Amino acid sequence: MVTEEEIQKVAKLMKIEVTDHKEYVDKVHAMIDYFDILDSAGVEDEEIATQEISISNLRNDEYIPFDEKLIEKLNHYKGTYVRAPKMS
Amino acid sequence: MNLKISALEYVQQVQNGTISAEDFVSTTLDRIKSVDDKLHAFLSVNDDAVNQAKEIDKKIKSGDKVGACFGMPISIKDNMCIKNSTTTCASKMLENFVAPYDATVISKLKQQDAIFIGKANMDEFAMGLTTEFSAYGPSKNPWNTEYIPGGSSGGSAVSVSAFECIASLGSDTGGSVRNPASFCGNVGYKPTYGLISRFGLISYANSIEQIGPLTRTVKDTAFLLNLITGLDPNDNTTVDNHNEDYLGEIEAGIEGKKIGIIKEMIAEGTDPAVMSATKDAISKLESLGATCEEVSLDMVKYSVAAYYTITATEAGSNLARYDNLRYGYDFPVEGYEFNSYIEKARKKFGPEVTRRMILGGFVPSAGQAGKYFLKALKVKSKLTKEIDEAFKKFDLLIAPTVPILPFKIGEKIDDPVSLFLVDINTVTANLTGKPAISVPYAVSNGLPIGIQLLANSMNDKMLLQAAYALEQTVKLPEVPL
Repeated sequence: MVTEEEIQKVAKLMKIEVTDHKEYVDKVHAMIDYFDILDSAGVEDEEIATQEISISNLRNDEYIPFDEKLIEKLNHYKGTYVRAPKMS
Repeated sequence: MNLKISALEYVQQVQNGTISAEDFVSTTLDRIKSVDDKLHAFLSVNDDAVNQAKEIDKKIKSGDKVGACFGMPISIKDNMCIKNSTTTCASKMLENFVAPYDATVISKLKQQDAIFIGKANMDEFAMGLTTEFSAYGPSKNPWNTEYIPGGSSGGSAVSVSAFECIASLGSDTGGSVRNPASFCGNVGYKPTYGLISRFGLISYANSIEQIGPLTRTVKDTAFLLNLITGLDPNDNTTVDNHNEDYLGEIEAGIEGKKIGIIKEMIAEGTDPAVMSATKDAISKLESLGATCEEVSLDMVKYSVAAYYTITATEAGSNLARYDNLRYGYDFPVEGYEFNSYIEKARKKFGPEVTRRMILGGFVPSAGQAGKYFLKALKVKSKLTKEIDEAFKKFDLLIAPTVPILPFKIGEKIDDPVSLFLVDINTVTANLTGKPAISVPYAVSNGLPIGIQLLANSMNDKMLLQAAYALEQTVKLPEVPL
């Protein structure tokens, strides 16, 4: 059983401020409770399939010129730097 | 001007001079003006569309080479980038985001002289199945505007169904093309994973999502697939389809094909009208020479939980980039400490996105991953084995696209688990990478019902042939709009 505190702790780590308890904590709680159905799937011994992509299938790591200055598409920048709030 | 034509009819009529691209596009824009206040299929409309159509008409008149779309007006779900156009993902977070490049599907359609008539409404960041989670308000079902049109590509489905365009591109992560296609009476296609490039599609759950067409006919879907599929160096999950011609031999029929009826997808809880339509579709397929028998995919029972666990995890990672520094809206950085700034910026996410981000942080976290995320991946693996085993015996699988009829706007919005379960028949194709199509099949109480067919990976052509055969057995009434 997931606790409210666990949900709120994760929200904090995800940098999400939870203000409306009913909208977030209660509904997330209901969703996670539903996921408990996975416990009865009987897949403990199942191996997780992975998709492998050969390195030869990757595109070449080469510079492709772009005709616009992407940084100018940001709201906050100075010169070639992104402007960010102060780290405490 | 008759807007109620298919893509292939449009191409034929423009080619033979019966209609001009300009007239058709202009009339389409008039149609949008007259009905979209009521339906809200579009988040933005291309004001330059008529000029673009005029250019195509000029090329036709002067005998220049013209692309296969001949100025066909197509709507695009607002999570695909069109260079220099606003791409919001129906989120306030990307309210002013102007895409700096074209998605691969957009480049390919531009080369074929398609006209992007507008960007279609959707659930915010494609998280939802009703479009009620669009930050700009829900789309309405043209068959009955009190009802949801499905989602997350709801605007796409509405725009095709209400004759506001000829075809649309949506994206399907757990049924987001097939579900609204079923609810609005369109054909909706989720291709084999990797068949269509995702480059330029704003990511939600990369490992399972695909772009797919919504059209009026199965042939139109095949026509569009011929234009947008294939390898893309910008998306190394794409697969080589060797320029397969999906339209050629589409009338091949299904005689001798073996079709498995997925037992878990016609289980308790299926609406009687949906069940009746499914049984009728099975009878029709049998009368066309197919043999149908039940098949069990035991993992379907756990597929919705696995799907939401996996997608929330990927969404939690994909949406971490929205910190209002690299992408975002106009909110100054001065006077804020870093963490509190990000928290405040993320308040622009709507409630469903916020919930799924919290989930996406929780289910793969230390101490929880074994119980949720890893188990979900194991269910995905086992489900894939089960469906691969089924395809050793059957050519195709069949089930209703959605087990229930469209419901009223607001009816399920406060019950997330009840909403989850609407996806029960569609997520299997995404989790296993298989192609699936929803074919409009019946109307009950004035609302459409779609039938879903699935095929093995890379058997998209055979799937379209079967869908075409099924489509030919029915004629639905016209949208009462």
